[in-house]
Amino acid sequence: MNDTASDTTDHQLIAAFKAGSMEALERIVKRYEKRILTFGLKMCGRLQDAEDIAQETFLSAFRYLESFREETKLRNWLFKIAANACIRKRRKKKCEPDQEIALDSLVQGDGPSGGYEIPDWSDDPSDRLLRAELKETIDAAIQALPHKYRLVFNLRDIEGFSTQETAEILRISAQSVKTRLHRARVFLREKISSHYKEGENR
Amino acid sequence: MKASCRKYFQRISEYLDGELDVDICEKIEAHLDRCPECRECLDSLRRTIELCKKAAAEEIPAEASQRLHMKIKEFLGSDSM
Repeated sequence: MNDTASDTTDHQLIAAFKAGSMEALERIVKRYEKRILTFGLKMCGRLQDAEDIAQETFLSAFRYLESFREETKLRNWLFKIAANACIRKRRKKKCEPDQEIALDSLVQGDGPSGGYEIPDWSDDPSDRLLRAELKETIDAAIQALPHKYRLVFNLRDIEGFSTQETAEILRISAQSVKTRLHRARVFLREKISSHYKEGENR
Repeated sequence: MKASCRKYFQRISEYLDGELDVDICEKIEAHLDRCPECRECLDSLRRTIELCKKAAAEEIPAEASQRLHMKIKEFLGSDSM
C-alpha cells in the first residue's frame, strides 16, 4: 500500500472510531503493531521491553485519539509516542548519560584507512545460518549505539521517516537529525567492519 | 583520513540521502573523482546502510502480539476512555 492509500485508510479508521467503532481501534493495532514492536525491540533489545513500549504507545494513543486532529500522520504520531516511551523507559532504568559519538575517534590518521569489511546480505534462504550470524552482529552494533543516535538511526534508516519527520517526532532540529544519523552510520560501519576484520585475523 | 577530505566526509550522509544542493553535490563528486579513499568511504557507508536495512526484519513471536491484543481488549473493556 502506498503512503497516500495508507493515510486514507488511517483517516477512515480514525473517523470510524470517532463515530463510535471500537473495531477501528483493533484495526489500528493490527496495522501498526509489528512496526511498533520491531521499533521497540530495536531500541531496547528485549522483547519484554518492546511489548511494554507497544502497549504504552497504543493505550496512550487511544486515550487521545478522540481529540487527534490529523495535523500529523497517524503513523508519525504513533512513533512519536513510542519514541517518548523508549526515552521514559531508559530514564526509569537510570542509565548512564548518553555518550557522544566523536567522528574524530572513528576516523583517524592521514593515510589510507586500510579498507572496510562490510559483508553482503544474502537473499538466499539456504544461507540461514550465515544470515543469523550477520544479523546478530548488526543488532549488537545497533544496540551499542548511544540511545539518542539509535533513535535517529532507527527512525530514519530502518523506519524510513524523512529528516523533517524524524525531527518532528523527536522534537529536535533537522540539523541534529542529520548530524546524529551520519555519526550513527559511521559508528555502525566501524563496528561491523572491525567485527569482520577480527574474524579474518582469528 | 586526510584533512582535505574531512569537510566532504562530514556531508557524505546528506549526499547519499540526496539532501544537498546541486553545487555542493558537484564539489563532492569532483573530489570523489580524484580521491579513491573517499570513494571507498562512500561505498562502505552505502553498503552499511543497505546491510542494516536488509537485516532489519524482526520475527515477533505470535504470543507477543496476542498479549498486546489482550491488553488492548482489557483497556477497551474498562471505563478508562
